[in-house]
Amino acid sequence: MNTLGMLWAVVLKELRQTVRDRRMMALLVAAPLVQLVLFGSAVQLDVDHVPTAVLDADRSADSREHARRLASDGTLRLVRTPSSDDAALRMLETGEAATALFFPRDFARDHARHVRPRVQMVLDGSDPNRANVAANAVAAHLRTAGKVDVPSRVLFNPGLSTSIYMVPGVAGMLLLLITTVVSSMGLARERERGTLEQIQVTPLPGLLLIVGKIIPFALIGLLDFALAMAVGAYGFDMPLRGSFTLMLGATLLYLTNTLGAGLLIASLSASQQQAFMGGFLFMLPAALLSGIMTPVRSMPSWLSPLTAINPLRHYAEILRAVLLRGASASELAVQLGALAVLGVALCALAGVAFRNQQG
Amino acid sequence: MKPRRILALADKEVRHVMRDVRTLYLALAMPLLMLLLFGFGVSFDLEHLPVAVVDLDQSTVSRTLRRRLLADDVFDDAGLYASGAEAERALVEGKAAMVVVIERDLARHLARGEHAEVQLLVDGSDNSSATQARARGELAVRAILASSTRELRIAPAIELRTITRFNPSGKSAVFLVPGISAYVLAMVAVLLTALTVSREWERGSMAQLFATPVTRAEIVLGKLLPYLLLGLLAVLLVIAAGGWVFDVPFRGSAPTLCLLSLLFLIGMLGLGLLISVVARNQMVATQLATMSSMLPSLLLSGFVFPIDNMPTALQWLSRAVPARYYVSGLRGVLLRGNGLGELWPEALMLGAFGLVMLALSTARFPRTIA
Repeated sequence: MNTLGMLWAVVLKELRQTVRDRRMMALLVAAPLVQLVLFGSAVQLDVDHVPTAVLDADRSADSREHARRLASDGTLRLVRTPSSDDAALRMLETGEAATALFFPRDFARDHARHVRPRVQMVLDGSDPNRANVAANAVAAHLRTAGKVDVPSRVLFNPGLSTSIYMVPGVAGMLLLLITTVVSSMGLARERERGTLEQIQVTPLPGLLLIVGKIIPFALIGLLDFALAMAVGAYGFDMPLRGSFTLMLGATLLYLTNTLGAGLLIASLSASQQQAFMGGFLFMLPAALLSGIMTPVRSMPSWLSPLTAINPLRHYAEILRAVLLRGASASELAVQLGALAVLGVALCALAGVAFRNQQG
Repeated sequence: MKPRRILALADKEVRHVMRDVRTLYLALAMPLLMLLLFGFGVSFDLEHLPVAVVDLDQSTVSRTLRRRLLADDVFDDAGLYASGAEAERALVEGKAAMVVVIERDLARHLARGEHAEVQLLVDGSDNSSATQARARGELAVRAILASSTRELRIAPAIELRTITRFNPSGKSAVFLVPGISAYVLAMVAVLLTALTVSREWERGSMAQLFATPVTRAEIVLGKLLPYLLLGLLAVLLVIAAGGWVFDVPFRGSAPTLCLLSLLFLIGMLGLGLLISVVARNQMVATQLATMSSMLPSLLLSGFVFPIDNMPTALQWLSRAVPARYYVSGLRGVLLRGNGLGELWPEALMLGAFGLVMLALSTARFPRTIA
C-alpha cells in the first residue's frame, strides 16, 4: 500500500470511531454552536439602562422635565424614587441603583433667574466603565455644548453590533478548542489505554499514524468553522466583504498552528488529565491575550508584545479584517507571515517531542 | 449515614490528592495563574488608540486641536492625511482606528460664532474600542475647542457636581478582580470533582467502593469534603492575591464572605460530581464541565458583560447561574462593604443551588455497576 492509501485508511478508521461515539459528536458539533450563539447574543459592550435614583427636592415642573428627559435617551433607567438622601445612598450600597441624582430645593427658581443651580450626582464607581458613561450622559445633557457639531460615522459595522464583532473571534477560539484541546486528549487517551503501542507494531510509520489521527479533528474543526460562519451570516447578519479564498487559506494556516500545538501537548503528557491541563494552559492565555474580548492596546506595555506569538491573535485579526473591512492579502501580510512562522515552529517542536517520546 | 464512614472516605480522598501533586496544582496554582492573567490581560480602558487626522483647515485652531487631542495616552498619532478618502484607506488597512476630519473653515466658523463641524470616522470592526472612542473623541474635541477659542467659553446653565463612591480612581482591575475570582473558582471547583471522580469510573475503582456498605450520600459527602477545604483555601489565596497585586479593597464582613464562598463551592463541586456521575469518562466530563460551568460563569454572571444589557431570555437564564450571585456577593463584600443584611438573597440562592446539586448527584449516583 502506498503512503497516501495508508494515511487514508487511518483517517477513515478514526473518523468512524469518532462518529460512532454519539455523545462525543454532539459535544463536537452542538457545543460550539451553543457557545457561538451565547457569545453572539450575551455580550453587549455598550452601556445602557444604568439604574438611576432621582431625589427631587424641588418637585417643580422644571426639575421633573429634566429628570424625564435624562431617562428618555436610554442611557439611564429610573428606578424607585428614594424618600431621603440616606435612602438614595442606601440604594447605591445595595446595588439597586448605580447612580443617584439630587435636584436642590430651589432648582426651578434659580434656573429661571440664571443663578446656576447645582445638581449633584453620586456614582457607584465599582464598574468604572458604566460610571463614566452615566456621568458623560448627564454632563452632556446638563451642559449646553456650544456651537460645535461633532457628528460621527462608524464604518464597517454601523450599528456597532457586538455579535458581528464577537463571531470571528469566537470561531477562532472554537477551532482552537477542538483542534488543540480535544485532539491532544484523544491522543492521550490512546496512550492511557495502550492502543497506541498496538498500532505501532503495524507497518505504518509513526508520524503517518499521528497525522492520520489528527486529520479527522481538522475536518471536524473545518465543519465547525463552516457552521460558525453560517450562524454568523444568517443569525447575526455578519457580512463577508473580502475574499473567501483568503479566509480559507488563513484558516488552513491557522490549523497547522493549532494541530501542531495539540500534538506537542499530547507528546508531553502521559494521561488525559495532563493533556487537558496542558491544553487548558495553552488555550486560556491564547484566548485572553488575543484581543477577542478586550483590546490588545489596553494591556500593560510589558504584556502586549507577548501577544505577537499568539496564533489566535493573528487569526482573529485576519478574520475580522477580511469579513468586516474587506482587507486584501497584501494588507494582512504581517499576520499571515506570523501564522506561517508560528505554524512551522510549532510543528517542528511537536515532531521533535514526538520522536523523543518514541525513542 | 455514619460520620465515621464519611471521614474514612474523605481521608482516602485526601491521600489521593497528597500523592498526586497535579490536583494540588490544579486547585491552588491554576487559580492564581488565571487571576494574574485575567487581572492584567482583561481591561476595557481605552489606551493608545491610533488616530489619524485630516486637517482641511490648516489653521492655528486646527493644529492646536490635533496636538492637544494626541497629547495624552488615550489617542496615539497615526499620521496626518490630506483627504478623507486616504484616511479611510488607513482604516481599512488597520493603521488607524479613528479618523478626525477637521472641516475647511473651522477657525472662521468658530470666530464668527457659526456652526462648526469636526467629523469622526470610527472603525466599527473593533467594537470594544469603537463605542468608547466615539464618546471620548467627541468630549475631547468639544473640550479642546471650548477652552482654546474664546467665543465658545460660555458658562454652562446648570452646574453638575459628581462624586464617585467605592472605586474613585476608576480602575478596571478593582471591578474585574472579584468577578475573576468567582469565574476561576467556578471552573476549578467543577473540574476538581468532574475529573477525579470520572477517573475513578474509568479505572474501575468505583466498583470496589460499591462492594463496601457505604451509602450513596456518604460517597457524595466524603468526596466533597476534602475538595471543599481545598476550594476554601483557593478562595483565600485568590482574594489575598487580588488585594496584594491589584489593590482590591476588603470593606465588608469576613464571615459573610466565608459563608458565600462555602455555599458557592458546595454548588460548584456538586455540579462537578453530577457531571462525573453522568459522564463516566474524562473526555466527555471535561467538555460537559466547560459547557456547564465555564461558559455561563464567563458570559452570564455579569463579571465582564453587564446582565442589564442582555436580551430578556438570557437575563432569565442568568438567574440559574450560581456565579451570578457569587459575583454580586463578592463585589458587595469587597467593594461596597456589605454584610449579610444586604446579601441574604445571594446567600439564599447559592444555598438553594448547592442543595439541588447535592440531591441530584446523590439521586443519579448508581449503586450498581451495570
